[in-house]
Amino acid sequence: MNFTLLKHEVRATVKLFCIILAVLMLYIISIVYMYNPEMSNTLNKLTETMPELMSAFGMSNMGNSLIEFLSTYLYGFLLLVLPLVFIIMLANKLMMGYIDNGSMAYLIATPNTRFKIVFTQAFFLVASIFILLSVTTLIAIIFSGVLFPNELDLSAFLTLNIGLFFLHFAISGYCFLVSCSSKDLRTSYAYSAGIPILFYLIQALSNMGGSLEKLKYFTIYSLFAPEKLMTQDSSSIWMLGALFLIGLLCYMLAIRVFVKRDLYL
Amino acid sequence: MAMIEVNNLTKKFGDFYSVQNVDLQIEKGEVFGFLGPNGAGKSTTIRHLLGFLQPTEGQCFIKGLDCRKSTAEIQKFVGYLPGEIAFIDKMTGLQFIKFIAQMRGLKDLTRAHELMQYFELNATGFIKKMSKGMKQKVGLICAFMHNPEIVILDEPTSGLDPLIQTKFIDFILAEKEKGTTIFMSSHMIEEIEKTCDRVAILNAGKIVATETIADLKKRKSKKFLIEFQSEQELSRFLEEPLNIEQIGPTKAIIKVQGNVQTLLHTLANYKMNDLDIISQSLEDIFMHYYERGGTES
Repeated sequence: MNFTLLKHEVRATVKLFCIILAVLMLYIISIVYMYNPEMSNTLNKLTETMPELMSAFGMSNMGNSLIEFLSTYLYGFLLLVLPLVFIIMLANKLMMGYIDNGSMAYLIATPNTRFKIVFTQAFFLVASIFILLSVTTLIAIIFSGVLFPNELDLSAFLTLNIGLFFLHFAISGYCFLVSCSSKDLRTSYAYSAGIPILFYLIQALSNMGGSLEKLKYFTIYSLFAPEKLMTQDSSSIWMLGALFLIGLLCYMLAIRVFVKRDLYL
Repeated sequence: MAMIEVNNLTKKFGDFYSVQNVDLQIEKGEVFGFLGPNGAGKSTTIRHLLGFLQPTEGQCFIKGLDCRKSTAEIQKFVGYLPGEIAFIDKMTGLQFIKFIAQMRGLKDLTRAHELMQYFELNATGFIKKMSKGMKQKVGLICAFMHNPEIVILDEPTSGLDPLIQTKFIDFILAEKEKGTTIFMSSHMIEEIEKTCDRVAILNAGKIVATETIADLKKRKSKKFLIEFQSEQELSRFLEEPLNIEQIGPTKAIIKVQGNVQTLLHTLANYKMNDLDIISQSLEDIFMHYYERGGTES
């Protein structure tokens, strides 16, 4: 680990981090605020009027408890997509950004091994996702506690967020791998954004049910199942394991690829 | 032991050889020039020295360390100026220099400040807004600020104005005095001529010659463009036993290798309008090596 580089990345990412966090906070706070045990009828009506569209975004089985409400409105779309935007931008900047513009030459022409450089960047990516999700979780807990004391099932909510972190860990591993192995920034952006978005669309289609449901075997988002995580269903354990393994393999491969690859700097 | 050693280096991209069987030996304290036209494989060779590329065949060593395996170890005593000018955006020149110093674990910035003063660089502005020459100076400072034993420079004077180019040449000579081993690529023969002890000429991925500058100078011919007052004068001149090439009704180019005395004596007998010295370009030197290479093979 190179702390000079880490410090530099912290400084260079703080702005993006704050923007994403601010948008997430805004949504979390307003959605918690919207929760009203009686009000959910109105939303149910909305779901009845356009069931396909709502279920595409994972907003179908509206529960009556706060956690079900949050998992429906936050964990089906916002907390999947906004961190994804953050991951795509950061993963590309951390490796391919330097490779593509040539400044990687300066980084590896210092007495630091390539392994040290890429490990630092990988660590920073995982750490920033972890911090981002921890902060949002904390905000949701605090705000729920203020508005609706004792309404939120804490242990279920934490499991849900651990699942979310593992999901983003896996996706970020893939994005980091693309960032380390692509030939230029444009290709890197195309693949690191394209595939997760495609997965999300497949997920949206399969959510609409019917014969499309089989599509769920073709998307990584199926490994993140809020309802199973909240009930701490046993199958959620291997799902978490699978996500962790995908992420770990991607990161390991990314590091290996970068250490071995030819760099035209 | 040679400071820099390249053994039979070959890099293939598909069917295309970027460099082929390149051999180099650079001794301690030597300033070694690497000449060649664009795309000859100069940067590719340098990238191998930095360990950026995996050779298809052959190896590179710096102070006996494998360039591909011991990159971090090698970088402790090597300074490098990339051929492509690229920095981290959103940093000022000074911030960047300090950042690289920290990455090197270098605490003493005296040399960096000395260099900034020497090259007249005000590095307080954002790199993004700097001119090409200023960026090049930032790169040079990053390459030299840790007093490296060996310096590898990829086209160091590109973008520098003539005044700073001259300063750069003096600077290289001073570094040479200190015993620094310098390996620099260029396509400008003048700067190589003024600074280097030896030079390797690369063309289409192959080394066509490795010579001392003294030998190269002997071989370097001069060209004179002469405009005669009349066509008669020129046709009379064409009889002379010189290497003459007529390029117009009254104009001719004379190529002289070595001594110009004979030409000047001869010219005294003719009426001329103008005389110009055409400084020899690298291409001409290349032509010489193409021809020689051709006859050899």
